[in-house]
Order: sequence, then C-alpha cells, then structure tokens
Amino acid sequence: MRRTTIAISVLVGMVTGALAAETTRWVERTKVDVRAGRGSFYEIVDTVLKGEQVQILTTEDRWASVRTAREKTGWVYEAALKPTPVQPGTSDFLKAAPGDVSTSRTAASQGAKGLYAQGYAKEKGYDYGVVEWVEAHQPDRAQIEAFLKDPGEKTGGAR
Amino acid sequence: MSRRAGSRLALALVLALVGCESTGNVGGVPGAILGGMTQTLTGANPADIRGAATDIDEPEEIELGRAVTAAIGSRYKLLRDENLTRYVALVGNAVALQSDRPDLRYYFGVLDTDEVNAFAAAGGYVFITRGTLALVHDEATLAGVLGHEVGHIALRHHVETIRDQKKAAVTRGVGTSLFQIGSGFIPGAGGTATRAFVSSPLMNLTADGLVNLTLKGWSRSEEDQADGVGVKYASQAGYDAAGLRDFLKAVTEGGQQPAKSGFLAKFASTHPGADERLKHQEAQLKTAPPGGRRATARFQQAVAALPQ
Repeated sequence: MRRTTIAISVLVGMVTGALAAETTRWVERTKVDVRAGRGSFYEIVDTVLKGEQVQILTTEDRWASVRTAREKTGWVYEAALKPTPVQPGTSDFLKAAPGDVSTSRTAASQGAKGLYAQGYAKEKGYDYGVVEWVEAHQPDRAQIEAFLKDPGEKTGGAR
Repeated sequence: MSRRAGSRLALALVLALVGCESTGNVGGVPGAILGGMTQTLTGANPADIRGAATDIDEPEEIELGRAVTAAIGSRYKLLRDENLTRYVALVGNAVALQSDRPDLRYYFGVLDTDEVNAFAAAGGYVFITRGTLALVHDEATLAGVLGHEVGHIALRHHVETIRDQKKAAVTRGVGTSLFQIGSGFIPGAGGTATRAFVSSPLMNLTADGLVNLTLKGWSRSEEDQADGVGVKYASQAGYDAAGLRDFLKAVTEGGQQPAKSGFLAKFASTHPGADERLKHQEAQLKTAPPGGRRATARFQQAVAALPQ
C-alpha cells in the first residue's frame, strides 16, 4: 500500500512537473509588453522584465497568450520568450532612466520615451516636435482593426 | 569602398578628433547636468564595460530611432497632414504585422518634398516622401515600398550598425561614462516645462552614425534583403506581390526622363542598384503567390489632396 502511494506521488509529481515545464516560459528581453491583442497597437495590460516567468495559455500565429505573475493575461510575441530559465537583468540605458525603470514595470512599460532623444535633438538643434507629431498622429487600434477587415477592391491583373 | 566601410572610416575620423573622452562630460548639453545624479560604470571591469556598452536592447534602439527621426525632420519638412499620415500608417501597420518584428510599435510619416525617397530609422520609424507617393499608383505599390523599409527594421540592419559603431567607440575609449542625467527645456517639444533626459557621449556618436547611415543609404546587400522580406510581408498582408517591382520599374523609367531624373537622383544614391533590384524582383515574382489586392481607388482617394 505504501509503495503504491509513493509510486502515485512520484507519478503525479512527474506529470505536474512536465505540465509546468510545458507551460512556463521565461522572458528573454529586457522588457516585453503584454498586450490585449496580437499586435503592437493593442493596449498594454502588463510589462514583464527579463528573467520573469509567464504561463502560456495558448499560442496562435507566432503569438502566445500568457498569464503573468501579477495574474494579468495578454499576448506576447513568442520570440521574446525562452523555454529555459533566464537570468534577470536590464540594460545600462534603462538603468539610467529616472524613476528606476529597471525595476519599475509602470515606467518600463512607458519605455524611456524621449529620454535620450530629446537631449540629443536639443544638442544638435533638431526639432523634437517632429517626433512628437508623428507619434501623436498614428491610427489607433480600432482604426487599424477596421482597416485590416476592409481589404479594398481587387483590381490586380496580369503581371 | 562599401558604404558601411565608408561609415566606419568616417566614425574613426570622428573618434580620432574626439580623442579619449573622459568621464563627466555630457557632450555639449549646456548647463543641464544635475550634480551628483550622473550614473557611471566607474570601477567596473573594462571588459564588462565594453560588453555592456556594445549591447543594445529594444528601448535603446527605439530611442535612437527617435533621435534619427528628429534629424530626418530637420533635413526635410514633415507633411503634417493627419489624414494622409493615418492612411500611410494603416497600410504600413498591415504590412508590419506580417513582419519578423510584429511586436515592435511602428510609426509612419510623410515628408513634404518632391524628392523620391523613403527612410527607415531604427526602432520602427518609417518615412516616405510626397515625391514617392506621386510615383505610386495604388496601395499594393505603397505596401511594397513600406514593406521594404519595414524590412530594414525587422532584419535589424540598424542594430548591427549600432553594435559596430559602439564597439569602435568603446575601443577608442569613448564612453567610460555611459549615461548621465540632465534636464532642460526641449525646443520643439510640446509645452514649456523642463524635461529630464539622459545624455551619453557614446550614444551621441552612435546616433550620429545612425543618422548618417539612414540618410545616406544601405549597402546593396541590405537593399536586396529588405526587398526580399518586404515583398513577402506585403504579399502576406494580402497585397499583390508585384507592388515593389512596379515601384522600381517606375523609378528606373522615371530616371530616363529629364523632368523626373532630378527628383530620382537622391533615391538612386540612398537605394543603390535599382536596375539589379528590378531584375531580382522579376525573378522573385515567379514564385510569389498570384493575386492579391491593388486597392487603387482607396489609394487614389487618400492621395487626391496632394499637390501634383
């Protein structure tokens, strides 16, 4: 009886371990945004940092639906994840960001927006307003989704 | 001499003029450094410094892209047409979603010049000129051109250059002080508030090199690679794969017309070998999936307000 119990425990442990190994991935990049959909134009629901674990819920067309340690679910590009543990770490650039971006997910999710480029533009006499105008006038998620659904007319002929 | 070798030589000359940069200098940002807030790697193993300094991650690449965008916006006038910018960005996003970096946020803009050209800054910033739009007749062709530019970014052509230039700079002793924090008023940026920013002599040199590369153009090999994936991205987005071929055809034919050749000269210098690329495109199209949309009417409607 005792042997059977041990055998079952070992078996359960192996199955659980196998399942965990199948569904756990580690973040390979310094920061990865977890988004509400499969595209860079979807809202950011969480940001995971290098070395963090995420649980894979499903995969579709190069994207993985994941659950983060903070129980947030969203989509991550699969290439940003690794099946084996990754040492946590950040870049010197993110370390230099005010607000300690290297450890603050909120700050990291906003990137280091303009943090360096503004100073560079100032030094060179460039108009940084160009960057801000371009960033402010991109289509939003709803517009991109609508556009992707509307293929436009087919007028292709012989090549 | 290849373009990249030329860039390296130029960088070496710049570095020779700069000499061995020491810590504490922020590359000419006037009065902006807050005492005691500078961050350095002082005391670290020089080998570690080299390793860290030549590493490049996405947030840094995006920042360099912003720096290059500011430079492009100073060389050319940005066409601040919201509807046209949105349309170009919609086509660009459709193509970029099929790229090898679909998780990168892409930004598209139009430059107000007759010059026929397009630029891919690092980190997802793509620009096309009004002159290029005038040469294009449908959305499939626009998708082909944008696919090519997205291709440079997706293939990380900039990242390789950034790494090369950082290695060269660090080898010369520039950048033992990697980043320093400053603050000041930023001309052109919205509002009048003082903003915080970081500065780095090493990153400044990298940005300078990247600006030079972006505005002067890629090697033939990088152009071929960008063509190859650009057509694939556009085709996977549902467009007729012949779009880029049609654009290159228009460029080569236009170059033979005196009235247009001036506007096309810059394109020839930044995108070398249009004749050869056209031949490659004809070959690639033989194996490309047939069909795909051209979306001529939608394109014509979007660019209708452009001055001819």
